Amino acid sequence: MAKINPGAIILLIFMMVVLCGTADAGGPFGPPQPLTKDSGGIRTAVGYWYHEDKFSNDTDHVIKQNQVYSEVAYGAGKTWEVYGRIGVSSIEIDDALSSTRPSTTSSKSDFEDNWKFFGTLGAKGFYPFNEIFGIGAFVQGTYFFRDADDNVSGTTGGAPYTMELRMTDLWDVNFGIGFQATLWRDTKLYAGPYVYYAEAQVSPAPVISGIQLGNGDTTLRNKTNVGGFMGIDVPIAKGFRLNVEGQYSERFSAGAAISLVY
Amino acid sequence: MKRFYLLMFLIALMWAGYSHGADVAPTTHEAMVSGQARSVIAASSSVQENKVGIGDVRASAVVGESPDEEAIDEEEEDEEEVMGEISIADPLEPFNRAMFQFNDRLYFWVVKPVAQGYKKVVPESGRTSVKNFFTNLGFPKRFVSCLFQADFGGAATELGRFVVNTVWGVGGLLDPAANKELDLQRQDADIGQTLGIYGLGHGFYIVWPVLGPSSLRDTVDIAGEYFQYPFTYADPWYVGPSVRAYEGVNSASLRIGDYEALKEAAIDPYVALRNAYAQYRQNMVKKKEKREAPAPVEVKPAQRMFQ
Repeated sequence: MAKINPGAIILLIFMMVVLCGTADAGGPFGPPQPLTKDSGGIRTAVGYWYHEDKFSNDTDHVIKQNQVYSEVAYGAGKTWEVYGRIGVSSIEIDDALSSTRPSTTSSKSDFEDNWKFFGTLGAKGFYPFNEIFGIGAFVQGTYFFRDADDNVSGTTGGAPYTMELRMTDLWDVNFGIGFQATLWRDTKLYAGPYVYYAEAQVSPAPVISGIQLGNGDTTLRNKTNVGGFMGIDVPIAKGFRLNVEGQYSERFSAGAAISLVY
Repeated sequence: MKRFYLLMFLIALMWAGYSHGADVAPTTHEAMVSGQARSVIAASSSVQENKVGIGDVRASAVVGESPDEEAIDEEEEDEEEVMGEISIADPLEPFNRAMFQFNDRLYFWVVKPVAQGYKKVVPESGRTSVKNFFTNLGFPKRFVSCLFQADFGGAATELGRFVVNTVWGVGGLLDPAANKELDLQRQDADIGQTLGIYGLGHGFYIVWPVLGPSSLRDTVDIAGEYFQYPFTYADPWYVGPSVRAYEGVNSASLRIGDYEALKEAAIDPYVALRNAYAQYRQNMVKKKEKREAPAPVEVKPAQRMFQ
């Protein structure tokens, strides 16, 4: 049996991921190599993440979020880490409440809500090729604990209406592979592809058929499933580190976090 | 007008109490038992140990000693000054003894069983995290006290600790500020200590029901802490007391045995506790007057109960 080259497998996965298209997900992934101490320890972080994604049912809708979160992680050996995040986020869905018929008017076009709690759990593993290069993999999932809702009013067929649109069970799951180079003074540069799935339930009350997402209960899903990410993690001082990351798909997401290792 | 006279009387009493520091005449009862009590409780025994140690070093000075040893001498003399015999006036002794009994029963009948049950359910790391959380909540008291003591370095340290522990310590559950790299240690500052630094004496000893040992001066601290404790302002009204009760149980679960050890070792636990309290508080004031780091305030097992 012919020996399979691990590098070829990695390249194959990368090509499959890139050729399938791109998407983005909820929250940064961080450097592939865990930052927690070799002997085992805790890392905490606070961060901001601006997130955009494209969801679709019959039509496409851009979803935007401004997330502020706190993260705690535990890991050891610079090879594995588990982490959790809790934070609050704003949610905006473009054109969710806009009118689709001339006979229906709408007081607003975008769905907006703020201060929605979410939680994230993740795990990552890392394999160093040498002192500089290495590869890692991660899995990360996010769930919004609180429903988001917004109201819209207007007239339909001449009759006034007020509709509440509620978004429930917004969640996503991500899996990715990251390549990392450790540079001068433990600065880590990393990039890689990821696959991703996200969905949310949307329910209007009452049903207003002339409004984009007012036709009845529906499930919004991410339009594409694959994306790419790139970031840098720089030591600042006294155990603090700055992480800046961007994720690109049809939309661009980015954020920064300051972590403390102890 | 009556209130004014009462206030003046209290202030005069507290100032006068300052002179009760080292040479207050012990009560008859205390005279009988305090020597034994001091020799058995950890807090007081340090005084004895200190005296012996200094005597030894002084003896060695006759035959000549190195500069290092002289430095140790000076340090130990300072320590002696700080750890010297300290007592406190106790004109309310009958009332205090009754309250001591009440608190003793409360501890053995309610607090300890609950704390033991809690200890079985919650692992030590969890209880330490809860303690860290409540310690972090005590930031306003320590910060304001540092400012009133003109200890701006201490205030900055407290502020730094609060920010780091709140933001990177998961709301204060963890204590990353105390790690080696940051080294932002907790400043043991309170209002009673601040008044002590300004020259106000203990006044006299009071044992409050539930709250435990205090003095006239430190009672001001209890009131001040009440207003600076964030949960005081929680709504509905019972949230604050409930949180405090939980904090008390959590705290007790981490030091089960300290009080029992003191009680077992002392012939008169009341006197032992009173002396340990007076010494602990006086040391806090003296050390802060010298502007030393908080760490050197040696906390004996018996004194941990007052923290």
